[in-house]
Amino acid sequence: MKRDDFLFEIRTEEIPAAELAGARQDLARGITDALSDERLAPEDVESYATPRRLVVWAKNVPDRQPDRETEVLGPPAGVAFDADGKPTPAAEGFARAQKVDVSDLAIVESARGRTVAVRRTVPGRAAAEVLCEIVPRVVGALTFAKTMRWGAGERPFVRPVRGVLALYGGRVVPMEVLGVPARGSTVGHRVLSNGDVPVAAPSEYLQRMRGAYVEPDGEARRAAILDSARRLAAAVGGRIDADADLAAVLADLVEWPGLVRGSFDASYLELPEEITTTVMRVHQKFLPVRGLEGLLPYFIAVMDNAADRRGFIAKGNEWVINARLADARFFFREDSRETLESRLPELERLSFQDRLGSYAAKTARLEELAEAIAEAVGRRDLVDDVRTAAKLSKADLTSRMVREFTDLQGVMGGIYARAEGHSESVWKGIYDQYLPQGQGDDPPREDAGAIVSLADRFDTLAGLFRIGRLPTGSKDPYGLRRAAQGAIAIATARKWRIDWSPIARKALSLYPAELPGLDPGRAFAELETFFAERLRNAIERAGSSYDEASAVLEVGRWDFADAAERAAALTEARRRLDFRTLVLAFKRIRNILESEALPDPSPDLYREDAERALAADFLQARALLDDLVKGRRYSEALETIASIAPALDRFFVDVLVNAPEEDVRRNRHALLAAIRREFTKIADFSEIVVEK
Amino acid sequence: MLTLQRLIAELLGFWEAEGCLIEQPFDAPVGAGTMHPATFLRVLGPEPWRCAYVQPSRRPADGRYGQNPFRVAKHLQLQVILKPSPEDVQEIYLRSLERLGIVAAEHDIRFEEDNWESPTLGAWGVGWQVVMDGMEITQFTYFQQAGGIDLAPVSAEITYGLERIAMFLNKVDSIFDVPWTESLTYGEIRQSEEAELSKYYFEVADTGLASLLLDRYEAEARKALEAGLLIPAYEATLVCSHQFNVLDARGAVSATDRVGLIRRVRDLACACARAYVSNRGGTPVPVTEPEPATAI
Repeated sequence: MKRDDFLFEIRTEEIPAAELAGARQDLARGITDALSDERLAPEDVESYATPRRLVVWAKNVPDRQPDRETEVLGPPAGVAFDADGKPTPAAEGFARAQKVDVSDLAIVESARGRTVAVRRTVPGRAAAEVLCEIVPRVVGALTFAKTMRWGAGERPFVRPVRGVLALYGGRVVPMEVLGVPARGSTVGHRVLSNGDVPVAAPSEYLQRMRGAYVEPDGEARRAAILDSARRLAAAVGGRIDADADLAAVLADLVEWPGLVRGSFDASYLELPEEITTTVMRVHQKFLPVRGLEGLLPYFIAVMDNAADRRGFIAKGNEWVINARLADARFFFREDSRETLESRLPELERLSFQDRLGSYAAKTARLEELAEAIAEAVGRRDLVDDVRTAAKLSKADLTSRMVREFTDLQGVMGGIYARAEGHSESVWKGIYDQYLPQGQGDDPPREDAGAIVSLADRFDTLAGLFRIGRLPTGSKDPYGLRRAAQGAIAIATARKWRIDWSPIARKALSLYPAELPGLDPGRAFAELETFFAERLRNAIERAGSSYDEASAVLEVGRWDFADAAERAAALTEARRRLDFRTLVLAFKRIRNILESEALPDPSPDLYREDAERALAADFLQARALLDDLVKGRRYSEALETIASIAPALDRFFVDVLVNAPEEDVRRNRHALLAAIRREFTKIADFSEIVVEK
Repeated sequence: MLTLQRLIAELLGFWEAEGCLIEQPFDAPVGAGTMHPATFLRVLGPEPWRCAYVQPSRRPADGRYGQNPFRVAKHLQLQVILKPSPEDVQEIYLRSLERLGIVAAEHDIRFEEDNWESPTLGAWGVGWQVVMDGMEITQFTYFQQAGGIDLAPVSAEITYGLERIAMFLNKVDSIFDVPWTESLTYGEIRQSEEAELSKYYFEVADTGLASLLLDRYEAEARKALEAGLLIPAYEATLVCSHQFNVLDARGAVSATDRVGLIRRVRDLACACARAYVSNRGGTPVPVTEPEPATAI
C-alpha cells in the first residue's frame, strides 16, 4: 500500500472574516473524519484559509482502502446438504442468488450453528474514487451564519465558488464541487499575480502560493502584521496597543499582509481619546499609534498588497481618516451645544423595543430600579447619584456621535456628563453602564456604575421575558445571555451578597400589567431558571465541576456572589478533604427522608451509643457552623461538616434507622433531618457524584 | 482631473459595452437606485437583464443645509444590474475602475462583508462594500430576495457612490468642491439646492400633508393593482416610501408608528412584486434566450 498527500483548495469570492476560522476547521475536520470512516485515515492534516480560499492538506493518505472480507450467511448446513453430502435445492437456490457456483459455498460456525456462507473479498477502492464522493459532500454540509445563491441560483454557499484544486499525489482528482470541476491549478493574488498557477504536487502548494503573493497561513499573516506594525510605529517613536483581536481580523481581510503608515491632522488629538481610537479601530480598522504621553497623529493600516508603490494607499487612507475625524469633531461640537438633560424629550421618540416602548419609558424604570438596588446593597448614600446617572444614561443615544458611532454609547454619555460638570460618581456611572461587554471584560469601576449597569440589565431581561422573547439555543438577538452573565459578574466582583430575586420581581413589575406575553409570575420562573443556568456557567468556568455547581445551586441561586464563593470553597475543600463518606451518607439520608417535616430530635429517645455519639458530634459542629456560615468562612465550615463523617458512617453501620418502634424511628429520622438542615447551608452534598 | 460628468460618462460607456441597456433615472423622488422599476421589478422572474443608470437618491434625513462636506439630502448613485450574475463579475467591476484610471495593483482594493437590506421593499442581498484605500466606493450585492420573493436567477447589483468616488479621485475635502465640469463645481450647481431642501425637510414640510399623501397613495396603489396596472401601482408605492422619509426627517414618526408604516409600504411592494411575477403587469418584456453560463 502506498501513501500520498491529498491537497484540496476551494476558491471563492471574499468570505466574511468572521466565518473564516470556523469554515477552515469544519472543512478540515469533515474531510479527516470522512477519510477515517472510509478507512483511508491520513497521518496528519493541515488547513489554511484566506478570504478567497479554504485549503486542506491531508498527509500520507493510503492510495487504496484495505480489502474487506464479507460473509453472507445462507441456510443451515444440515438443510443445504443431504446425508451424502450432496447439495440440496436450498443450497443451489442460495448459490444462484449469490451468483456463485455451489462448489464455492463454505460452511461456517455462526450463531445458528453450522451455516452455509459465501465469502468474498471486496477489494478496497482507490483513494481518488472515494475522495470524489466524500469531499463534495463535506463541502455541501458546511454551515455558515448566512449563505447565498448566485448565477442561476441553484446551490447555496457562503460566497460564489470560483475554482477547485484537488490533487492526490501528482494527479488531479476529478471531482466536482458545487458544480465546479477540479483542476490542477489555481490562481494567485487578485492584483499581484496574473493567470493560472499550476500546482504539480501537494508539497509544492505553499511555496507556489507565496510566489503568487498569497500567504495561506492565517497565523503567519497575523504575526507578519503585528511585526511590521510594531516596526512602523517605532519608526515614529511610538508603539501599537497589543490589539490581538484587531490583528486577527485584519489577517483575515487580506491574502497578502502588507502594511502602510499614515498620519492625520494633529489637531484631532484634542478630541477625547475614546473618539479618535474608535473612529480608527472600529470604522477604518486602523491600529492607533501611542507615544509616551498619549496618542500620536499616526495610524497603521493593513493593505492587501505588497507595497504602496505610488503612495496612493497611504494618501487615500489619510484622506479618509481626516474626513472621518472631521465628521467626529463636527458631531462632538454640535453635541456639546446641548446638555444631556435637554435631550431627554427626544427619548420619547426612540424605541427601545417594539412592545416595550421608548427609551424615555425605560429611563423612568431605570431610575426606580437604580434606587432599589442602591438601597439593597447598602449604598443609600448613592441614591441621588444613581438616579441622576440613570436618568441621563440613555440621553447620548440621540447625540450625533452615538448615532454615527454606536460603539460609543455610554462612553459619550459619560464624556458629555463630565464636560457638563457632573460628579465623578455620575459621569463614571454613565460611562461604565454597559460594562462588562463580554466574558473576561472588566466590570464598572465604581458602585454607581455597577448599580446603573445592573438596573439596565435587569430591566432589559425583565421586559423581554415578560413579552416571551426568551433566547433559544441558537438565537439570542437581544444579548440576554450576556446581560445576565454581566449582572452575575458585577455582583461577584463587588461582593454584593444579596438575594437578587426582589430586584428581579421589581423589574418585572415595572412593566404594565396588560403587557401581552407571560404574566409576571411565569416570567419570574423563566428568569430564575435563566439566571441559574448563567450562574452555573460562571461557577463551572471558575473551575468547579458540574456536580459541585449543582450542589451549591441546590441550596441557593439568587445570591450570585455567595453562590460563587460557596462553589469555590467546595471545589477547593473537595480536593483536600475526603468527602466520599459524607456524600454517600447524605445520599442515603435523602433517600430515607424524602419530604417528611420533622421536629428536632429528643435525646431521651436515643437507644444506641452510635446515635448518641452522632448527636453529640452534631451539636458540637452545629454551634461552630452557625458562626462560620454567618461569617462566610466556607472553607472552615466545610472542614467542620466533613469532621462528622466518621460518626455518620458509624451510625449507619450500628443503628437500624427504621426501627420497629414508631417513636424511635421518627426520632432517628429527626436527627438525620436536623443534620441535613444544618449542613446543607453551603451545598447539598447528595448532588455530588462519587464512585460507590 | 476626472470631472463628475466625465466619471458618469465613462462608467455608463463601460457598462454599455458590457451589454447593459442604459436606462434613465426614475422620474420621482426615490431613496436609492434599487427602487427604480428597472431594478426592483426586473430582478424578479427568470428573464435575463442588464442595465445601468444614474439615479439621484433622495434621503431627506441626510440633509445638512449644504454645510457638511460629506452629507447631502440628494446624492447620485450609478446603478448596475447584471442578471444572471456572471462568473467573473468581480473582474468586470475592477475593469470598470480601470476605465476611470484606477490601476488595481497601485491601490488597496478589498471586498469587505456588508449585507444590504431594505425592509420597505421586502428585499435583501449578500455581498460587500468595496473599500479602496480605506474608502467605501461601491455596494456590491448578490440580490437574494425582492418583494418577499426569492430570486432565481440571482442578480448582481453594483451601486457606485458617484460623489464619493469623485471626491476621492480628485482629493477634494468637500463634496461641494467636486468638479462637475472643468469650470463648474458641484457646489455651484447644488449647494443652494441642498440648503433649501434641508430647510424644507427639517422645518417647513407639512407633516399632515405627508401623512395624507401616504394614506391616499397607499389606497391608490391598491386601486391600480386591482385594475391590473402594475407600473402606476408601483409608482404610488414609491410615493408612500418617499413620504415616509419626509415624515421621518421631520421627526414625526414615533417609535411604535415606524414599525407599522414600514409594514404598510412593504406590503405594497410585495403586492407589486407578486403582480409582476404572475403576469409581468401586462406590459411586454423582452424575452431572450438565457445567457450561456460562461459570461461575456
